[in-house]
Amino acid sequence: MKKWLSMLMAIALLVTAATALADDVITLRVWGGVPAEAGPQASIDLFNEAFKDKGIQAEYERFVNDDTGNLKLETSLLAGNDVDLYMTYTPAVLQKRASGNMALDLTELVERDGFDIEGIFGKMALSYYIDGKPYSLPTKMDQYGIVINKDMFDAAGIEVPTEWSFEEFREIAKKLTHGEGDSKVYGMFFNSQQDLLYPFNYFSVQTLGGDPLYHSDGTANVNDPVNVAAIELVNNMMNVDHTAPTHTDSVTQKLSQEGMFITGKSAMTIGPWMVRSIKDRDNYPHDFKTAFAPYPTIDGVRTYTQGGYGDHLCINPKSKHIDAAWEFMKWYATEGMLPLTSGGRVPSANTYDSAEVTEYFLKGAEDLLDAETAKNVLIVPASNHAVPSITTKLPEINKVLTEELENIYTGVKTVQQGMDDAQARAEALLAK
Amino acid sequence: MQRTISSGKRGISRQLKTDLTGYAFIAPNVLGFTLFTLVPMIISLIISFTDWDYTQGFGNWTFNGGANYVEMWADKWFVDSLVNTIVFAVGVVPVTIFLALVLAVVIDKFCYAKLPIRLAMFMPYISNVVAVAIVWVMMYSPWGPFTQMVKMLGVENPPQWLGDHHWALPAIMLMTVWSGVGYAMMIYTSSITALPRDIYEAADIDGAGELTKFFKITIPFLSPTTFFLVITTFISSFQVFAPIQIMTRGGPGTATHVLVYYIYTTAFTFYRMGYAASMSWILFIILFMITLVQWRGQKKWVSY
Repeated sequence: MKKWLSMLMAIALLVTAATALADDVITLRVWGGVPAEAGPQASIDLFNEAFKDKGIQAEYERFVNDDTGNLKLETSLLAGNDVDLYMTYTPAVLQKRASGNMALDLTELVERDGFDIEGIFGKMALSYYIDGKPYSLPTKMDQYGIVINKDMFDAAGIEVPTEWSFEEFREIAKKLTHGEGDSKVYGMFFNSQQDLLYPFNYFSVQTLGGDPLYHSDGTANVNDPVNVAAIELVNNMMNVDHTAPTHTDSVTQKLSQEGMFITGKSAMTIGPWMVRSIKDRDNYPHDFKTAFAPYPTIDGVRTYTQGGYGDHLCINPKSKHIDAAWEFMKWYATEGMLPLTSGGRVPSANTYDSAEVTEYFLKGAEDLLDAETAKNVLIVPASNHAVPSITTKLPEINKVLTEELENIYTGVKTVQQGMDDAQARAEALLAK
Repeated sequence: MQRTISSGKRGISRQLKTDLTGYAFIAPNVLGFTLFTLVPMIISLIISFTDWDYTQGFGNWTFNGGANYVEMWADKWFVDSLVNTIVFAVGVVPVTIFLALVLAVVIDKFCYAKLPIRLAMFMPYISNVVAVAIVWVMMYSPWGPFTQMVKMLGVENPPQWLGDHHWALPAIMLMTVWSGVGYAMMIYTSSITALPRDIYEAADIDGAGELTKFFKITIPFLSPTTFFLVITTFISSFQVFAPIQIMTRGGPGTATHVLVYYIYTTAFTFYRMGYAASMSWILFIILFMITLVQWRGQKKWVSY
């Protein structure tokens, strides 16, 4: 009995001591979707080193960036102060969180410190304001392009394009396709089992701007000729030319960019977010060089460049350490991001040197990635980004489109018919 | 006299004590039921009459009368889901139960090594749904056994199963039957072992064949079990979710879009909690009605 009592007292003492210590140091809890070992931990370590004397430390917690993971995050945000800072990955979700009191309005902090958002992140940052107020710092720039197997292009005598039309893209894919059955090499892989909406978000936007599915007054523009042409292109390559795996193949065989592109089964693929895997030589051994090209446009004329901001860092309004969180936020956005750049995330702030960013981007894979095109296509920011601003009923419209695109790609409907049906359904949704 | 009174008094307090002990024993369950089932049910009923958006925080809603309950009947997703769910249940329930009955009888009568066989049949039911679904996705792939078998039969363009508008739902139904049949068979097996042997002997003496005995004795005697299985399998078929989420996500188009999957999407992708809650209540009412009808109907065919 006595033994127990003394042990209990010892534990109680320890706990008090620990809390006393913790009182002096603020520990921020930062939630993000990137696995800790892919950069966030290294970044947090840098922060902890730099802010040791200021009494601020940070801890990283990973949530999986899917429906379930975001739900877990939001439940924590609505429930209390378990989270101090967190990442939001899409504008639509940012809108929800800002209007739902899950993200702090940064106006006061920005004004207090004279933090120049427009100067540091450019004009595009303003389009991520909600109701004219900043609720996040957009830390990452997503400027994507077609990922290219340069060895295959060289072997076919094709130059890596710097500008191309849908038609040229289609012809190049034809030239790169060869073989049959298991040994078939496709020209292109659209990764459609992951997301069917890439043609709008990456191709159409370059002509129509950031809201390819809406007119500027917010009404539905789903069956715009440019959108129809983009789907026509994908459908032709899948089902007419057979230069890309069909959507059904992608779904039933659970294909992936890693499995198709890095293994050399396709000469091109849709997006560079698997640079992380390209660098992972143990799991994805390969020796060809990867280059990048801007997305093709309908007629070879570019009005906008696909691009946008991601990794929107937000503060939980219920956090007990808002000032410390703000310090972390500024540090991360303007200088702390480089460890994540090695995993393919390009910082959006102009406080970074693009040569240094490129160096981090290529780190460990200098022989596998083409420095020149990586820098031009993915890293140096374009001045004409297509910026999304309308999100009315977007989740619903996306679902409608996903269904109608499946109808189109599986041959149940023609492209025009499917897109017209999607337009009608989108109009009905927006009329509600 | 004195004694009797005091013992009477003690009797009352003893009765009270027994009652209290009883309540204490069921308290954890009642408390759990109230907190985690009853209260959420009442709240969901209230929510179903509101336009609550999940991001707007709890209580931040306006009542919109029965608008949710009206809206759903004009909602293509809801109607498609309802139709698919009914097709799913009507297909899965009879097949599962019939197969289970036949298997239970056949294994009971004509098999050696009954235990390993029953165990093998039961395995799918206790296996993790996610793992089972992933394996079946591979089985339905173009290199899987189904496609190969159909090819061997001489079909040149075999269907893409999960990628095909007409085959995706039957494909998932087949998997559900496969994984559910073991459970139903086990329930039947335990009832079969309890069947009175003397009736079979009497039938034998009268010269009844195996089939006659099966239809005239086994099936009627097993009717309470069948009744139980029909109700439980129907309810679980109406609530199918995991295989859909893993194998097709409702696609292609809306070919495998079922009610629970749509309720989930409405709640956690569209954040429309009020609408989702109202659909849950419609699902509840449908299940309740079906069970009620079966309960009434059992007098006609169930013999205890």
